[in-house]
Amino acid sequence: MSWLSPFPPRIPLGEGFEAFNTWLKDHFGGLFDVIGTVINWAVTTLRDFLTEPQATQLTAIAAAILAVLLVRARPIPVLVIVGSTIALYVGQATFELGNTLVNHSPPQLFLWAMHLFGQEKVESNLVIGIVALIALVVVAAVYRIRLPLVAAVAGGWLAVILCGWLLFGAIPEVIGQPTAILMMLLLSTLAWVVAGWKLGVFSLVALTLVISIEQWSNAMSTLALVLVASLIAVVIAIPIGIVAAYSTVVSRIVKPVLDLMQTMPAFVYLIPAIFFFSLGAVPGVVATVVFAMPPGVRLTELGIRQIDKEVVEAGEAFGASPFKILTGIQLPLALSTIMAGVNQVIMLGLSMVVIAGMVGAGGLGNQVYQGISRNDGALGFEGGIAVVILAIFLDRLTAAITRRSPQARAERAAA
Amino acid sequence: MPAVRANHLYKVFGKRASQAVALLSDGRHRDTIKDLNVTAAVIDVSFEVQPGEIFVVMGLSGSGKSTLIRMLNGLLPPTAGTVEIDGTDITTLSRRALRALRGEKISMVFQHFALLPHRTVLENAAYGLEVRGVSRAERHERAAHALDLVGLGDWKDHLPNQLSGGMQQRVGLARALTADTDIILMDEAFSALDPLIRRDMQTQLLQLQAELGKTIVFITHDLNEAMRLGNRICVLRDGRVVQIGTPEEILNHPADDYVARFTEDVDRSRVLTAASVMEPAPKAEAADWERVAPDAPVVELFQRVAACDSPLAVVDKEDRVIGAVSPTTILSALAMPEEASSAVPSLANGTRREGAAK
Repeated sequence: MSWLSPFPPRIPLGEGFEAFNTWLKDHFGGLFDVIGTVINWAVTTLRDFLTEPQATQLTAIAAAILAVLLVRARPIPVLVIVGSTIALYVGQATFELGNTLVNHSPPQLFLWAMHLFGQEKVESNLVIGIVALIALVVVAAVYRIRLPLVAAVAGGWLAVILCGWLLFGAIPEVIGQPTAILMMLLLSTLAWVVAGWKLGVFSLVALTLVISIEQWSNAMSTLALVLVASLIAVVIAIPIGIVAAYSTVVSRIVKPVLDLMQTMPAFVYLIPAIFFFSLGAVPGVVATVVFAMPPGVRLTELGIRQIDKEVVEAGEAFGASPFKILTGIQLPLALSTIMAGVNQVIMLGLSMVVIAGMVGAGGLGNQVYQGISRNDGALGFEGGIAVVILAIFLDRLTAAITRRSPQARAERAAA
Repeated sequence: MPAVRANHLYKVFGKRASQAVALLSDGRHRDTIKDLNVTAAVIDVSFEVQPGEIFVVMGLSGSGKSTLIRMLNGLLPPTAGTVEIDGTDITTLSRRALRALRGEKISMVFQHFALLPHRTVLENAAYGLEVRGVSRAERHERAAHALDLVGLGDWKDHLPNQLSGGMQQRVGLARALTADTDIILMDEAFSALDPLIRRDMQTQLLQLQAELGKTIVFITHDLNEAMRLGNRICVLRDGRVVQIGTPEEILNHPADDYVARFTEDVDRSRVLTAASVMEPAPKAEAADWERVAPDAPVVELFQRVAACDSPLAVVDKEDRVIGAVSPTTILSALAMPEEASSAVPSLANGTRREGAAK
């Protein structure tokens, strides 16, 4: 009878999975290392920016916003400025080109600023950023393009730098502590500009609460993790969604895979993620990407499939190529649905952070996890509240972006 | 050379399409090949459209007319047969060449307008040129001109959803006109509009056609619309051509009972012209009668013929009398043609007999 007892015979499913993972790591270990390094760099940079914004970074962001505002009206001068700025940054990063340039220019250019801010050396990256910013403002002034907006951005940049210097006595190169209030103001302003004054006021109050319960740096660390994970998830999800919308075969294959990704307990992803990327933020990001990606794919596919067939036909009938139909008709018309998917991705990503905290991803998840292990209800609750505040902030912000999509504007025009 | 020529076109959806084509080309009805699990939308359709003509394809829903028009610009590849545009067989063209040909030679107007809701009226009208890579300034100028033609010059910066249905369809028409193609396909273009607006749009289309001389293939399920617009009409039934002819031919000599039943609802006085109802006139007396042009529709003759004691004289361009129209001629012309009117009741008998034979 012994031959009967093991029925059904044990199938080594788990062992097979393990063996497959080992095989993957043995053969593609280098690839995983590269991915891990890139993700780690992205999360760390974003977290550092959110907790301790550098004047250099703020300047680069202000310049980038100006470039986006101006590039359509005057592409050539703007692209020249952007290109040479990038070249200077690359030169500085590889062989300190900026330092060489600064050292060879007349000292009078910099001495007054060094004196004013009590500086002993010149930060080349900051100088490059400021030069680019000034050049863009000059372009805007000469060609008279969107002057109020440009003035607002440049003025805002100046105000932030001066704030950091005057209020906190910080040197503009590194706006020192406490930078939380500065970043909180910046995020609230972003909310106000994108979603209106209600969310602006909410952000002001709620983010101040986060600072006061001393969870700010944890919250920013979580925000960095969620943003990086969501960005990766969206970048993977949208192309898959597009392909699935075009091909029924792909759609039929992708659907059960997505179901599996979404219903598999999220903890399970952590085990192989740790196996490939060891502890830290990276396995947290990877597990979050896997768990949060499905709605991005699904809603992209849905968004494209639900477009009126006649409109796509119109594109074809006037001789548009498939690429032009995709970028000129399908994606703009599907944008509000795709953005709803992005919103879902971010929300699912936030729901993963506590779990990611278990593998040392840091941030609010870590706080909650500590709350559990130390039986510290106060800590757990504070961490949880901070997660909720982040969730509301991100949800309303992405919803507002959805409302500003071309399709949504067209629908409002009809009403 | 015809602008559009359809040559034994078939469109069958389903895996065993070629087998179905072989059966259908033997004259089998599409309902008899249901066990092949195919849908035969268009069966053995051939016609030619001359440059500058309005060619109307008329049929009820399911008659294959939308499928047919989509084969004319290659949106659907035919299962069998060929489509020639200005002598080029488009069924052999590569995708790229087909796109280029659509951009240059054929544009299309859609039933539900198919405008891009996120673009302004002007940008929508300029779409065809944008696809072809025409510079922004030039395409906007030409689109603005086309919008002026359809009477929407003041609505350039609005979004399509801010316009009424009729205005949206005029944007659709302007988009086709801006593309400046010789051939325009119109797929039930006015069917979604209110009756009054539909009439206005028909009038406007006729005016534009007279001005610009485009070749138009127009699809409709409404025979009145077909009669009003068409130089020639092609009647489709269950995917096959039943009759191709001028409105008057269809009205006076319907090919079968099916067409005859359609013509019952047609306002004959708007289709028939003085030339088509007139009788031979005694030239001597007719010289004093009131004169009408041969292409005047009968509906315009009622009052004049009633006001005169004598019949009306139909005269050609050189003022030569070519016929006469009296109240009696008009009345007898407006009555259903005999063969058609007697055919209607026999239709029921016919089907019953067929049923009995089985």
